[in-house]
Amino acid sequence: MARRIRAFFFVGLLSFVAACTNDDDDAGGHDHSNMPVDAAAVMGQPDRPIAGPQGGVGQFVVECPFSHALSDDPIVYPGDEDASHLHTFFGNVAADADSQLQDLLEQPTTCEQQLDTASYWAPALLDEGELITPEKSVAYYRAGLGLDPTTVVAFPAGLMMIAGDHMATTPQPVSVVAWSCGAGGLREELPPVCPPTRGLRLDVTFPDCWDGKNIDVAGHRKHMYYSSDGKCPSSHPVPVPQLIFAVTYPVTGDASQLQLASGSLLTGHADFINAWDQEKLQQEVELCIHRNVVCGVTSGRSSG
Amino acid sequence: MKRSIRKFCGVIILAGVIASCGGSENSPATEAPGTDAPATDAPATDAPATEGVLNVPADFPTIQGAVDAAVEGDLILIAPGTYTEAVQVTTNNIIIRGLDRNTVILDGNFELDNGIRVVGANGVALENMTAMNYTKNGFFWTGVTGYRGDYLTAWRNGDYGVYVFDSVGGVIDNSYGGGSPDAGVYIGECFPCDSLIRNFVAEHNGLGYSGTNAGGNLVITGSIFRNNRAGIVPNSGSYELCYPQRKTTIIGNWVYSNNQADSPAIDVAILAMGNGILSAGGVQNIIERNRVWDHNKTGIGLVPFLEDDPNDEMPEKSAWDMTCAESKKLTPVQPGGGILWDSQDNTVRNNVLEDNRRADIAVGSAGTDLWTLGNCFEGNTYTTSAPTNLEALSPCGTPLTADGDWVTGDLQVITWLVDAETAPPSVDWKIATLPDMPVFDSMPDAATAPGVAASATPPVVDLDAITVPDKIS
Repeated sequence: MARRIRAFFFVGLLSFVAACTNDDDDAGGHDHSNMPVDAAAVMGQPDRPIAGPQGGVGQFVVECPFSHALSDDPIVYPGDEDASHLHTFFGNVAADADSQLQDLLEQPTTCEQQLDTASYWAPALLDEGELITPEKSVAYYRAGLGLDPTTVVAFPAGLMMIAGDHMATTPQPVSVVAWSCGAGGLREELPPVCPPTRGLRLDVTFPDCWDGKNIDVAGHRKHMYYSSDGKCPSSHPVPVPQLIFAVTYPVTGDASQLQLASGSLLTGHADFINAWDQEKLQQEVELCIHRNVVCGVTSGRSSG
Repeated sequence: MKRSIRKFCGVIILAGVIASCGGSENSPATEAPGTDAPATDAPATDAPATEGVLNVPADFPTIQGAVDAAVEGDLILIAPGTYTEAVQVTTNNIIIRGLDRNTVILDGNFELDNGIRVVGANGVALENMTAMNYTKNGFFWTGVTGYRGDYLTAWRNGDYGVYVFDSVGGVIDNSYGGGSPDAGVYIGECFPCDSLIRNFVAEHNGLGYSGTNAGGNLVITGSIFRNNRAGIVPNSGSYELCYPQRKTTIIGNWVYSNNQADSPAIDVAILAMGNGILSAGGVQNIIERNRVWDHNKTGIGLVPFLEDDPNDEMPEKSAWDMTCAESKKLTPVQPGGGILWDSQDNTVRNNVLEDNRRADIAVGSAGTDLWTLGNCFEGNTYTTSAPTNLEALSPCGTPLTADGDWVTGDLQVITWLVDAETAPPSVDWKIATLPDMPVFDSMPDAATAPGVAASATPPVVDLDAITVPDKIS
C-alpha cells in the first residue's frame, strides 16, 4: 500500500511533464445509445458537494487498489464483451461483461476489506490513448446530507448503480462528478493542477435513495435518486448509503490534455454492483452509519 | 443466577447454529484452537463459572461470540491460542482480557481488518493479548468516552498498532506497537483528550507516535520510541477535525535511533524520517525531560505542516481552547489554496539530547519569521541547534523578539521535501523485516484479577516527579 504511494511520489515529482505533451482532443468512439443524456433530470442531484474532514459524519471506508482494465460494462452491456469504452475495475477481480452476482460473491477482491467483493469501475484515464493505471480507489459510505443516519439501510444484494453522465459535453455538477487533488476538499469540474504530494482524483457521488423494488431498471438509472433537503422522495423512499467513489491517479501538474475513455474530461462517471458480503455490509451500516461513528481511515493522510 | 441463565441461553444458541455463528462475523474461519464446540448441557467449563465471566473458548468458541453475549460489566477471558477473528465491540463497559499476553494471539492473516474494533462503546478495556497481521489496526477505539488498553502487543498491522480516534478519556498502558506503516500508537481528533500513554514501546513503524489534532490533558510518558522512521510526531491538519494539534505533554520518554530505513512507512513518515520528536504544525505542546539521541535530522524539531488542499481555514488563536465537540459544529470554509500550519507557542525544556546530526533542538518555518512563532527552548542539554543560538534567542517566559541572529544555521526545512524523494522507500508492511517479537511481561494475575471497565478519567501522573530517564540501549 505504501509502496504505491512511493511510486506516486516519483511519478509525480519526476515525470508528470510527460503527461502534459499530448495534443489529442477527444477520444470519441463511444456507442452508448441507450443512456440518458441528462442524468440530473432523471436522478436529481445532491444539494451540494460532499467533501470535508474525516470525523464529522459516521461512515465506513474501503480502499480498493486497481484490479484490471477491460472494455466491458457488466451493467450497460451484460454478456457483451468488448462492447464498451475501456474501464478500470476495482474490488472484485473477476468483474467482466458476464458477471452475475453469484459469480462475484465467490471471487477475491483487491479491497483491503476482504468481504467487500463488490465491483466498482470508472472510465479509463488515458494519455495519448495509453491507459494511466490508477493507484487505488477509496469508497466512502455515509448517510446522504442531512438524512437521519439511523434510517439508512444496506443496499440490496446485487444492486446496480451508475452515477455521472458518460456523454456529458458540458460540466457536470461537482456534487456528482468532480476532480480533486488527493483527499482534500477541492471539487472542480475539470482536473486541477495537483501538487507533487497529492495525486489527481476523480470523485463520483452515487444516488442515496432507492425505489425499494428494483436492483436495476432499463436505462439503469430510474430506480435511484439523490436525496435533497435531508429527504428521499416518495418515489424513491428508501435511504441507502451515499457511496462516494474516488479514484486516485499517479498524475500531478497539468492534466488538461488527458482524456477519459468515454470522451473528454467532462465525461466522468462510475458504476457499482453490490456484491458485498451482505451480512458484513449490513453490519457496517449499523455499526458506523447508524451509530454515527467514523469506522476507518480516510486517505487525507495518504496511508495507502 | 441471572448470569447463569443468560449464559445457558448463549450456549444453546451456539450449539444450535454453530455454523452460522462462524459466518456471522467478518472472519472467514473462526475455529478456536484446540477446542470443540461446547457441549449443549449448560454452562459447563473447566474454569469455575464465575458470575460475569465469559470464557473463550470454553464457554464460547470465538471471542466475537463472547462479546455478543456479554452485557455491561462482563469480563471475557481468553485462553491461549490463535484466534482468526476481527472482533467488533458495541457493548459499553466490557473487559476483554487474554490469560497470557504472548500466547493469546489474534491473527488477521493479512486479510481481516482490525483485531478488535470498539465502535461507539464506552468504557471498554482490552488487556493482555497480541494482535498481528491485520490489514488495518491491531486495536482500535473510535467514537468512545472512556477506554483502556493494557498489556497489549500490536505486531505487523497495515495501518496502526494501537489506534484511538475521535475518543476521549482513556489510557494506553504497558503496551507495544511494531511494524506498522503509520504509527505504533495513535491518539487523534480529540480536545481535550484527557488521555495518557504510558510505558509504551513503539519500534519499526513509520511513526512511533502520531496524534493528528489531539491534545488537552494528553500525556505521553515513560515510553520508548526507537527504530521507527520518526519518533513522536504530533501534527495539525484540516483533513481531520478538531485542529490544530495542541497542548500535548511529552515528558520523560526515551526517543532514539529513529532513522529506520527498512520499515513500512506512509509518505508523512518518509518526510519526517530521521527526527526524534517532531511537532508538525503543533501548538502549545510541552516537550520536557526526554532523553533523545541518535537521529539523522533533529532530536526535537518544531516545523510547519504544509497542507496542499485543506478542508478549512486555520482557526484563530482565540479559538484554540474550543473543545473538539464545539468545533465540530462549525462550518468549514474552503480556503483558496494550501495552508501552512506553523508550530507555535511550544515549550521545549530540560531535555537531554546528543548525536542528532542536523541539530539537537530546532525550529523551522517555510517563510514565517521564526521569532513570531513564540516557541521557547530552555534548560536543554545539547550540542547543536538550528538556528545556531536557539536557546539564547528563545527563552521561556518572555516574549520573543526579532533581535539576534535567527538566520545562521537555519533548519532549511523546505529541503526535507527534496530529501523525501531519495529517502529509502517504504517496505511493504506484510514483508518488512522485524526483530524477533519480544517476550513481554503479562498482566499480573490475569486469571483472577477482577474485571474493571475503563474509566473516562485517566490515571493522574505526577509530572513534577518525572526525571530525565537514564540512557538505555
